[in-house]
Amino acid sequence: MIPALQVPGRWGVPERDFADAMAHAEASAFLARESEYMDSRRFSEWAELVDESFRYLVPVPVTPDNPLSPPFDPECLLLDESKASMIQLWFRRYEKGMYEIAWGENPPVRLRHFVTNVRVRGTDDENVYDVRSNVLLIGVRQGDAPAFLSAERFDLVRRTDTGLRLLRRIAILDETLLAFPQVRAML
Amino acid sequence: MSLIETAPRFAVSRRIYNDENIHHAELERIFRRSWLFVAHESEIAEPGDYVTRRLGIDRVIVTRDEEGGIRVLLNSCRHRGTRLCRADRGNTSHFRCSYHGWTYANSGELRGVTFQPEVYGRDFDKSRFSLFSPPHVDIFQGLVFACWDPEAPSLLEYLGPMAWYLTTVLGKFDDGVELIGVPARTLIHANWKSESENLSGDGYHTPVTHATAFELGLFATKSDLELLGEVSGPRFTGRTADCGNGHTMRIQRLPLNTPRPAFHGYPEELWEQIERNLTPAQVEVQSCLSVGHGTVFPNFSFLENFKTSVDGPGRHARYIRITLRYPLSATLTEVVWFGLRPRGASEEWQRLSRLGYLRTNGPAGMFEVDDLENFVSISQAHEGNVSRDFDFTLEGGLHGQAAPAALGWPGDVVDGDRTERTIRAFLLRWHDLMEGNPSQSQSVTVSHGR
Repeated sequence: MIPALQVPGRWGVPERDFADAMAHAEASAFLARESEYMDSRRFSEWAELVDESFRYLVPVPVTPDNPLSPPFDPECLLLDESKASMIQLWFRRYEKGMYEIAWGENPPVRLRHFVTNVRVRGTDDENVYDVRSNVLLIGVRQGDAPAFLSAERFDLVRRTDTGLRLLRRIAILDETLLAFPQVRAML
Repeated sequence: MSLIETAPRFAVSRRIYNDENIHHAELERIFRRSWLFVAHESEIAEPGDYVTRRLGIDRVIVTRDEEGGIRVLLNSCRHRGTRLCRADRGNTSHFRCSYHGWTYANSGELRGVTFQPEVYGRDFDKSRFSLFSPPHVDIFQGLVFACWDPEAPSLLEYLGPMAWYLTTVLGKFDDGVELIGVPARTLIHANWKSESENLSGDGYHTPVTHATAFELGLFATKSDLELLGEVSGPRFTGRTADCGNGHTMRIQRLPLNTPRPAFHGYPEELWEQIERNLTPAQVEVQSCLSVGHGTVFPNFSFLENFKTSVDGPGRHARYIRITLRYPLSATLTEVVWFGLRPRGASEEWQRLSRLGYLRTNGPAGMFEVDDLENFVSISQAHEGNVSRDFDFTLEGGLHGQAAPAALGWPGDVVDGDRTERTIRAFLLRWHDLMEGNPSQSQSVTVSHGR
């Protein structure tokens, strides 16, 4: 198993109880800001919310043969990105002088995050929170009908002197046959 | 008019990317006649392992039975037709129907009929009700293929010279290659042929469709090349091989002179294996490979790619990918993505290779985002009756020059990296089958006047 995918509370790993209401309010506001920057393509501001060691992992979803197994392959990823790879290989494609030849981003797929069910727990590191949320991502390509992706997110968020930073995001997709204009998306 | 005309110019009807009548004819004349890829052997390594797939659009179970044989079984109960197996994969010795409980061994034989004496009688002959299965199943280099046509040639005959090229990709490591985990699946609003044609050998689209990949450092730059060896010239060179039966491949080479074969992007401890397991002519295909890709007619493609700086400057890797397309309708295709790795490679290199794959040619990779836009728009542009009545031209590369025969590469091999000859070969085979002529075609020399 890819070690990062062993999340507490799932598939045999123990978890802690919820943190207090203030932590939930802070984490919710952080996630809302993060989505706002991503949906409005304010990528440099988005990158400031993300830790240098950021990792974004989406395992390949699968329909297993029993209800006890995880609905993904624990050894196989669909997305594996770092802060540097997202800046270099994703965001730079929207720059002037680049978007004219970045055919998949022009016109861009319009993305809208709906983030709910935010749950915050402590971790062994007092400055790091385990923040979970449900996300519905809607993507609209040109004049096509909207498409949907729903997922559960398992984030690690670090408190720093200058605010919260996203350390890691794992998104567990609900659908196995991905009908989205581009699978290349930050859930 | 005929859907494809070769004279006075090579013209193809636009109808073939958005016409449900043509799609239905394809299911019958192409997908029911051709050998079709269904699984990689490593997915079903142990007895009882199974995966669920489609042959064309028919749902099948691919399983390893208790004797170790590979079976391809129609995923439908012989009793009332219920889909037997609902998971993507698993391990079981028997499949039990959820409706009335008929139970089959994983060899496909009917073993149990619920309340048999009362309902069907003691004399009911279960041996007549094994699961349906294609008459031909065979394996080449770990690739499991099946074919519904009882008259079909053997898999090796069907592949022809393509077997030699597939060996360069999949047969060069001592312990072979294996699938990483489970394939990813995407649903795209495009005709299945568009990607088959692209991967058959379209080197013409690369500088345009994938222009940002050059800008962002995924193609070897002059300074990358200088660190890899002695640069032989400014341009990557390419060749295409027409292997007959609609199977083709493109091989693009890095512009390097090397004193001995070099397989950049693989860890050096694997290089000796590659040289030992391939013939000298096959080593020539692999040495300094930039990208190699091809299509086994109709819906299977492979790609082996060397991409630079996939995880920061100087972090280069090669990876191998297979894609399979299910033709769900004229404008809807399910794409199944298989990432492969050599068995026994170091963890560190595997990670780099995986990043290379996922960030470039994976389902969420940059190249795919740009390719997909083309494939979808081809189908969308032919929704109307008028646009469908026109044809399009496909004459690129008609002036290609035959590659030196001394290379010893099988098939009809032509020098030049920007050609449409592989797409012509794909569509000519498609046309032969659609016209009801399934006999094996030899390598079709469309680059010399046809």
